[in-house]
Amino acid sequence: MLLIHCPYCEEARPEVEFVYGGEAHIARPLDPSTYSDAEWEEFLYIRSNPRGRHHERWRHTHGCGRFFNAVRDTVTDVFETTYKAGEPRK
Amino acid sequence: MVEIGVKIAPVAVSAADLKLGSGPVEGTGVRLSHAETKARYSLRARDAAVLDGVLGRKLPAKIGDTADGIACLGPDEWYALLPEGTTLPKGEGLPVSVVDVSSRALGFVLEGPGALAVLSSGCPLDLAKLAVGRATRTVFETVEIVVWREAEDRWHVEVWRSFAIWLWHAFLAAMHSSGGHAAK
Ligand SMILES: [Zn+2]
Repeated sequence: MLLIHCPYCEEARPEVEFVYGGEAHIARPLDPSTYSDAEWEEFLYIRSNPRGRHHERWRHTHGCGRFFNAVRDTVTDVFETTYKAGEPRK
Repeated sequence: MVEIGVKIAPVAVSAADLKLGSGPVEGTGVRLSHAETKARYSLRARDAAVLDGVLGRKLPAKIGDTADGIACLGPDEWYALLPEGTTLPKGEGLPVSVVDVSSRALGFVLEGPGALAVLSSGCPLDLAKLAVGRATRTVFETVEIVVWREAEDRWHVEVWRSFAIWLWHAFLAAMHSSGGHAAK
């Protein structure tokens, strides 16, 4: 059982309480009507997909309900850290 | 108040509606029963102080803490389990949400020295570390529950009514299989 530290609950909780939410720190377009098709493609579909450190969103769905960010190694599956939504990239 | 022109019949939720045994059921060192009927409220607010003002009481600030029947489930979310018939002010016009969800869930009570083992048979959270008087949302197998540790050996479990039949029988199965080694 993988344990994930929730930065809101401030404790390690079982993975089954969480839902993965994709790559983190992807800014929504501020003025969508000005976006070209290429920019939409970039925003909607293109992800960094790194081997190693990955910044990603998780939601503590069956706990406090909050979205937060995590740095997880995509090779080892080890969580380096987790931090609250809105905090700068770690 | 917006009149939407739709009449929603009140949902009667009880053990009898769901054809569950009226309980209690005794196992080795553990007893499963239905909690007394409660008024349930889901409370939301970004600023807890506004909600404090609406309700006229201080809400618990730390996730997992409880006070006078209200548990803090998240940074902006509380769950109230109050005596049947209790109504709370709605806080109209204020940035709060006070919603009566009394019909949404059923409450079960597991008590006795074997109760923790029964809960732990399907709950991956280390509930032994949940201090008396604290509560949390978590899962039992695949079903979401709210667990409230009311005393060392007394656990109140809230479950949405569509999962209640399954959970009741899952608890019965766990009580049966943990039998002699349920004592902590
Ligand atoms: Zn949490």
